[in-house]
Amino acid sequence: MAETKDSILAVRGLTVDFSTPDGTVEAVKGIDLDVNAGETLAVVGESGSGKSQTMMGIMGLLAKNGTVSGSARYRGQELIGLPPKALNDVRGSKITMIFQEPMTSLDPLYTIGRQIAEPIVHHRGGTFKEAKKRVLELLELVGIPEPARRIDSYPHELSGGQRQRVMIAMALANEPDILIADEPTTALDVTIQAQILQLLKSLQKRFGMAIVLITHDLGIVKHFAERVAVMRRGEVVEEGRTTEIFERPKADYTKMLLAAEPSGSKAPPPGHAPIILEGRDVAVEYAIGKGLFGGSSAVFRAVDGVNLRLRQGQTIGIVGESGSGKSTLGRALLRLLPSNGSYRFGTTDISGFDRSTMRPLRRELQLVFQDPYGSLSPRLTVGEIITEGLYVHEPGLGRAERDRRAIAALKEVGLDPASRNRYPHEFSGGQRQRIAIARAMILKPRVVILDEPTSALDRSVQGQVIELLRDLQGKHGLSYIFISHDLSVVKAMSDYVIVMKNGRIIEEGETDAIFETPREPYTKTLIGAAFNV
Amino acid sequence: MISFVLRRLASAVPTLFIVVTISFFLMRFAPGGPFNLERPLPPSTMENLMRTYHLDQPLWRQYLIYLSNAVTGDFGPSYIYHDNNVAQLIGKGLPYSMELGFYALILAVVGGVIAGTIAALRQNSFLDFAVMSISTVGVTVPNFVVGPVLTLIFAIMLSWLPAGGWGDGSFRFLILPMIALALPQLAVFARLTRGSMIEALHTDHIRTAKAYGLPSRVVVVTHAMRGAMLPVVSYLAPCAAALLTGSAVVETIFTIPGVGRYFVLGAINRDYTLVMGTVVLIAIFVIVFNLLVDILYGLLDPRVRHD
Repeated sequence: MAETKDSILAVRGLTVDFSTPDGTVEAVKGIDLDVNAGETLAVVGESGSGKSQTMMGIMGLLAKNGTVSGSARYRGQELIGLPPKALNDVRGSKITMIFQEPMTSLDPLYTIGRQIAEPIVHHRGGTFKEAKKRVLELLELVGIPEPARRIDSYPHELSGGQRQRVMIAMALANEPDILIADEPTTALDVTIQAQILQLLKSLQKRFGMAIVLITHDLGIVKHFAERVAVMRRGEVVEEGRTTEIFERPKADYTKMLLAAEPSGSKAPPPGHAPIILEGRDVAVEYAIGKGLFGGSSAVFRAVDGVNLRLRQGQTIGIVGESGSGKSTLGRALLRLLPSNGSYRFGTTDISGFDRSTMRPLRRELQLVFQDPYGSLSPRLTVGEIITEGLYVHEPGLGRAERDRRAIAALKEVGLDPASRNRYPHEFSGGQRQRIAIARAMILKPRVVILDEPTSALDRSVQGQVIELLRDLQGKHGLSYIFISHDLSVVKAMSDYVIVMKNGRIIEEGETDAIFETPREPYTKTLIGAAFNV
Repeated sequence: MISFVLRRLASAVPTLFIVVTISFFLMRFAPGGPFNLERPLPPSTMENLMRTYHLDQPLWRQYLIYLSNAVTGDFGPSYIYHDNNVAQLIGKGLPYSMELGFYALILAVVGGVIAGTIAALRQNSFLDFAVMSISTVGVTVPNFVVGPVLTLIFAIMLSWLPAGGWGDGSFRFLILPMIALALPQLAVFARLTRGSMIEALHTDHIRTAKAYGLPSRVVVVTHAMRGAMLPVVSYLAPCAAALLTGSAVVETIFTIPGVGRYFVLGAINRDYTLVMGTVVLIAIFVIVFNLLVDILYGLLDPRVRHD
């Protein structure tokens, strides 16, 4: 590839290796990339594609066992192999970064004002006092309300979106040439996501910097980037103008990625299908701010008077942003936390049921969680994990029969039955989610609450898990409550949608109606943010 | 902040009460008594003694007597050291123990934190290995071995330092007992610091600090170390309480007239009041230092600030 005259960052033959106890892992295998002045380049790929490690390698931020080689020239200056002192003149000043995790990327122990001032003081000299004026300008610029008051806030006092704005303020402090944004909005709600991306766009226009956007989200790429580089297993498989890539993808992998956007829809169950789970006036309250000797005690209503009716074979999608109460509602319906309201399961009134009276019903009411890493015990084998429920619900079962059922359950979710003797850490995220589903399915439930089951997975894996869930529903006549912030997945999975905000239902209805003709402004914002960025 | 301190001090009262109650009865359930000597006392003398010290009363009454006296600050007479009551004994010995403990604490914290930080920054290097090996030795070798070995080398063989005693109270006399007292704690601080430093160096905000080109001194000291100190500070409270209230072993080996010996001697001799006095003393130290550490914690970490 010839170096174009606009190229301000030219990457040639860049490799990143990690030495691990199992041998060397080649995370990036000699890639070429150019970042041109003022453009937006998206580097797209799924987890493990090396898209982040490429940038970390250039910036000298690899973990200790990582080594980078090859060449990355910023305006002619070689960055690879530069001593830390010299590299420090470039990073934070000419090339800056923002990261995925706005919760942890800022130091919790210092005020945001001080943290924004740090790169100014270190790169331009002067004192923290002198930098304060510039910090206030920057906070204003990134849209933090009341900068004069907020400057002394600590990161934990800000929301996720505000923290990401603080990171952007830090990144802009020294008017960089290149801003590397590593999954900058992945951890944020869709409406916040749209705001942050718009902010980045407007700032780019104003300061003329190049943005390198590292993301797995093709929706963002389409609306945000001018050029795209698609990475897979440490290599760039395709590179070109965004419109080109989206309209005429050449590489098979790119085609696969584009096709992996969730598709399909679900037909509603027949009208005579019986109601299987019902909650009326569901309310969950938490007491906040209580002290040993009195002190004001307030009540926070996580779920505030929600009615929900799930029919046999139905999938109700519950969408909402973080803090909307959607997960809490799911747990309340399963009677897993103290709540008010009346509940029916089939024809049984379970409103007054406690732990022990609920226990026999538990096998029919199962739950699958978001985090495929945290929800499986690392110390049990897969076989032990999925058969654990049988000890409670069918204590008389013999070892051979349990084993037989474990094999059947694993086969059903598309895993090799031999894997029952292995441990969760040996599996990928998608496989672990299959294990979690097998754990629920082995009990032959009638209702499964799926709490963000696909949110931690790559798009292509997401599609497979959705397929699996659909199959199982068809085969066993299951009823799902599908909780997610991801509207495209909800659209593909559910026949009825509930939109929640602040513990209340804002709008509900058949999936097509909600997505095509939303009535409430909030629903419109949500859908607009999710599909148009 | 003030209300936080007051609330904590108020909650100390029930804690102390429970400590006193439990140790009072535990002590009494131990077989034997303060006057069961090798050669039995004549019955009349024994009877007199029992009466003088209320030991002839039912246990619950003895408990109430002790409690009501303790509230007024009277911790009773010592059964063994007849010339002094418990408050006087502690009052006399405590300054020695506290002075020694204070130096030992400084040595343990400063030495441990520096060693631990160096080990963390040079993780898996020879230096790291050396620091960790020495700290393992520090934890595992008991101070009744360390003390005599130090004496043997520095007092007897090299004659650099006095072998024991308080002397004129000059620092020379404190060096060997201070090292013997500090070594196990220094080892703990080194291990704690190393662990939390390694963790802190891997956090996302350290990556941010590096990505913004901050000098490594700022990255390590300003950002990593402040966060890494939090678990270290937590350990400060029990450690300070233990060191400042003296160590029976170290004080005996180096013949320091502190309070450390009283707990052991009192327990062996069934000197009920003396044991109770030292238990209350240690409990008060633990409570006070926990409070101080919580305040310090709030200063270090805005997320747990008490306002």
